[in-house]
Amino acid sequence: MTLPAQSIPAQTLLDELRRCGVKFIVSVPDTHQKSLLALLDTVNDIRVITCCTEDEAVCVAMGLWIGGAPVAMMIQHAGLYACVNHLRGVGLDLKAPLFMMVGLLGRDVNKMPRENIGSMVRLAEPLLDTLGIKHCLVDGPADVQQIEPAYREALRSEAPVAVLIGAPTA
Amino acid sequence: MAMSRGEALRAVAQHRGERIVVSTMQVVRPWHSISPSDLNLSCVGFMGGASTLGLGVALAQPGRRVVILDGDGSLLMQLGSIATIAGAAPANFCHILFQNGVYETSGSQPIASADAIDFAQMAKGAGYKAAYTFDDVGRFREEVAGILDEDGPVFVVLKIDQRDEMAEWNAPSVSALAETRTVHRALTGV
Repeated sequence: MTLPAQSIPAQTLLDELRRCGVKFIVSVPDTHQKSLLALLDTVNDIRVITCCTEDEAVCVAMGLWIGGAPVAMMIQHAGLYACVNHLRGVGLDLKAPLFMMVGLLGRDVNKMPRENIGSMVRLAEPLLDTLGIKHCLVDGPADVQQIEPAYREALRSEAPVAVLIGAPTA
Repeated sequence: MAMSRGEALRAVAQHRGERIVVSTMQVVRPWHSISPSDLNLSCVGFMGGASTLGLGVALAQPGRRVVILDGDGSLLMQLGSIATIAGAAPANFCHILFQNGVYETSGSQPIASADAIDFAQMAKGAGYKAAYTFDDVGRFREEVAGILDEDGPVFVVLKIDQRDEMAEWNAPSVSALAETRTVHRALTGV
């Protein structure tokens, strides 16, 4: 990873989601990933389910997996904090293969997330570590190759995996 | 007037067929006793999640019908879920709410606005295709089969009494984790 973090084109991320075979996005709208959400609104091979809370998103994603539908979650770091009990109860206790794309809104792209002043960015990785949830940082187009392996790892390990989107999508 | 939880569940069980049923809180034990099945899922430990767990299954399996057995305190914890469900508009989705006006598990403290709240009106306002309220089990028995077959999302409020029925049920303890794998296998063959 090289600082500063760089924006990733929405089309590049959509191509990765298609490579994973994703058919549903479960989302609580994320400012950080809004260009990808806008692009998803224009395609008909991936359906976006908009939820009111990240708790709901965790459950909808688990239900989709139970029913056999490939799914990815798109949320913001604030939502990650908001849904900790559902991540525990569904993600950990029910061993849910939740693939989560988490936007680090407000990140200083010249610093690593843990070095940011704002607690919302600074504490995201430590929170995931506390929960034992694997994560990786996608800080630009060169890191996009981490996405599909992360998706496969969630399915293989039957556990949540988070991809942190380090800069606003383009 | 109000019905007992057991009476209401027996009426649903009589017509469940091959429906996937997601239950939560005080309904889990009696439901598993009355209607044991490889198509049961339980929401335990993430209060308010039954309906959205079922929504995901319904969206993944549009050819299968999904029934939610929810509680009033649970629904209030994730009230936005009725907008999420209405927005996704699953035709194969029936959401049954057991309303006794209290948080029974924690000692029967009243839910917020227990005397005035109208869940059917909320569901209709959120965009459910239809919403019904029953306080008489006889009338519910007459209509439940038709309601379960309706195009959804459909919402049903059952006014139940506050009698503690738990001692009446001897269902084995439920492994919510094992259930997810059993249903996943049943639906996907994997």
